[in-house]
Amino acid sequence: MASSSKRKEESHLLNGAVKQSTWSKAFCSNAVWEEKDEFLDVIYWLRQIIAVILGVIWGVAPLKGFLGIAIFCVINAGLLYVYFSSFQQIDEEEYGGTWELTKEGFMTSFALFLVVWIIFYTALHYD
Amino acid sequence: DTWVVKVELTLEGLGLLLWGQDLVEAVLAEDGHLALVVLSSGRDVATMSTMFADTILIVFISVCTALLAEGITWVLVYRTEKYKRLKAEVEKQSKKLEKKKETITESAGRQQKKKIERQEEKLKNNNRDLSMVRMKSMFAIGFCFTALMGMFNSIFDGRVVAKLPFVPLSYIQGLSHRNLLGEDYTDCSFIFLYILCTMSIRQNIQKMLGLAPSRAATKQAGGFLGPPPQTAKFS
Repeated sequence: MASSSKRKEESHLLNGAVKQSTWSKAFCSNAVWEEKDEFLDVIYWLRQIIAVILGVIWGVAPLKGFLGIAIFCVINAGLLYVYFSSFQQIDEEEYGGTWELTKEGFMTSFALFLVVWIIFYTALHYD
Repeated sequence: DTWVVKVELTLEGLGLLLWGQDLVEAVLAEDGHLALVVLSSGRDVATMSTMFADTILIVFISVCTALLAEGITWVLVYRTEKYKRLKAEVEKQSKKLEKKKETITESAGRQQKKKIERQEEKLKNNNRDLSMVRMKSMFAIGFCFTALMGMFNSIFDGRVVAKLPFVPLSYIQGLSHRNLLGEDYTDCSFIFLYILCTMSIRQNIQKMLGLAPSRAATKQAGGFLGPPPQTAKFS
């Protein structure tokens, strides 16, 4: 991603002062996103983080079966929907619609969730 | 006299040593302390701890192969001038094209539409050239990985490497229960776990290292689930 790596370079040059900007924007309500890719990256990485957290919780609980998978999908999609529509209040049309935003990073996060879930389940509950 | 004593034990620190079906005898030692002697295991401890070691090993293998794939690609492709130039061209063009497409209206003149068509053609050609350059590394990786996968498949043949917390759909069982004995479909085979790991880890590594193509370029190239992955051939 040429543009985001360029931004990362800028932020390193400014001694980390600018580096905060993407992530602090992510957690600040109603931020302004000039670069579409930047926001899509935030959505992508938030999805991965949620996948890891849910994978750990599901593996430790343990939550089993397709119910676990279904609840993951609902929480993943739902949480991020609330994030980009209510918290950030972005215009979905700008990004190609709600479906595009929901698709962003979904398959990767699903695979990551499965891996983390399997690891923790195998480690703690092989029964 | 028989004394019946109820003993409550906290098993912290025993970790993986005692499980549900283990048979334990409590022996009162001469100095008065209670010793727990494990008479039999409800399950073979050795196999159980090996399985989890396998699970972690496979995740580790997946990370290493993803890094290896990116490393090979970097050496053969990413650092060449031609690739860098093409990639910059493609990204610039796709961004321009997207912006143009957004602002165009139905009533735009034929000239405008033709201009866009021509730009699309050029972009498609550039994308094709980009793919050709990538192709070289894909062959090298494919060759490498066929050998690697052959080796791993024989190492892990018949071994249950993880327990799935769900029963996979029947057409996935062919993959998740591959070469495994028994009817327990929550047994996970090497290939299934490896594929899952690769799907999650490789794309994240590419993104983290800034090697994944931009979304605009992917869209124009017709990507569906994300950037075209560096596919690994597995037998």
